[in-house]
Amino acid sequence: MRVGTDLDTIVLHIAQVMISELKLEDVTADTFDPDIDLVDEVGIDSMDLATVALVLRDEYGVRIDEDDYPKLTTIRLISEYIQRKLAQGPESA
Amino acid sequence: MDGKHSSSMAVEQDIPPVQWKFADLTADPRVRRRWERVRRYFFLRESTYDMTCRCNIRCEGCYYFEGDKQHVTESCDPRAWRALMQAEKARGITFVVLAGAEPSLVPELLSVCHAELPLGAIATNGLKRISEDIGYRIHISVWGNDDTSLHIRKAKDMLRRQIDNYHNDPRAVFVYTFTPHNVAQAEQVTRILTQEGCKITFNMFSAPVGYAGDLCHTPLSLRQTRQTMLDLLNRYPQTVLYSPYNAVAHTHRMGLHALFGCSYPRCNTSTDIGLGRSFRQYRTDLSWNRDAACCVPDTDCADCRHYAAGSAVVTARLFRHAVDPDTFNSWLDYVDTYLSVWVSGYTKGDNLCDKPVPPPGFDLY
Repeated sequence: MRVGTDLDTIVLHIAQVMISELKLEDVTADTFDPDIDLVDEVGIDSMDLATVALVLRDEYGVRIDEDDYPKLTTIRLISEYIQRKLAQGPESA
Repeated sequence: MDGKHSSSMAVEQDIPPVQWKFADLTADPRVRRRWERVRRYFFLRESTYDMTCRCNIRCEGCYYFEGDKQHVTESCDPRAWRALMQAEKARGITFVVLAGAEPSLVPELLSVCHAELPLGAIATNGLKRISEDIGYRIHISVWGNDDTSLHIRKAKDMLRRQIDNYHNDPRAVFVYTFTPHNVAQAEQVTRILTQEGCKITFNMFSAPVGYAGDLCHTPLSLRQTRQTMLDLLNRYPQTVLYSPYNAVAHTHRMGLHALFGCSYPRCNTSTDIGLGRSFRQYRTDLSWNRDAACCVPDTDCADCRHYAAGSAVVTARLFRHAVDPDTFNSWLDYVDTYLSVWVSGYTKGDNLCDKPVPPPGFDLY
């Protein structure tokens, strides 16, 4: 599956992945605040992030380095990270 | 299962390019079921607690009686412990490990902890039975046969007394710590435990800081230990809670930190996420020190192959193990083993990968 690579589309798609993989309730992709702190306010941890990272690796072909998890605290930051990696080409992905 | 993340001391390594999609790795129904089963425990957030400064035996190479922690004033007040457990729960801790020096000597404190945080494990020498009201997993330390225990731990008939206290007790797991001198005794111990219907898992002696005794492993003893672990796993599959990948990870010439990057606060300055954020190791005065915080404080990190450390450090590395079916299935076996050893009521499944595979980016030995 190849998904759109503009930032808004990536944000929406990551929200969908998070809701689906982490079984989040009371939120939809449209209502998921991309700037909410995933650790402090949603309560996810790095095992959750690793799970999401694996699904995103499948869909975007982008590797999210384990050492980068602490920086990726919002959906927007993850989206920008993916977009940056995609722009750098397959070597970085 | 804390998201264990290390950034400050992450190890440079050459991880091969990924050929397999995660969706493909989990496409096999057997693998998918195991993945779905273990991920339900990702909510576990662990901290550890020394319960008392006292012990009823004195073992050579004991971690508790190294460093400063043994000298603090012991808190015996159940109200203080209850308040601590409530505060721990409030900051998100869901799993407690009650250890040093000998928790069975303070049963009233164990009851308080269990009432507040019911998931956890107790590390004990097994000489004093812990009441069945306390539903934690109970890890009973074994350092060889009774002759060796008498020599190293100065205690007579140790295995017999441990079995008398805990046979037919579903809480109990015997933890056999391999040293270079007791490798050949593991079969005898495992056979006895099998006859008694007990479970066993394996630990590796890992030197305390500054330890100069002869219990440290050598390249030869690491190889002998791995082979023995694999032989016992094959021979006593109903007794041994382990997997081939456990054997590889804990007997590799490189320690756990070098292989996987330890993420306990002692080795990890990041407080953003995972163990670096949530883990604490409380001393008996109910204080804690970030600079010393790890599952077995005062261990020499370069020599660390502890089963407790691996349970955090290896399980954390989901992403790097999702590279091919054998490596991913081995990681699942490791996590399955971890849960069966540490979480009451979790029953280990059959291992998905029955051969030793190397850690990602490293060779087999």
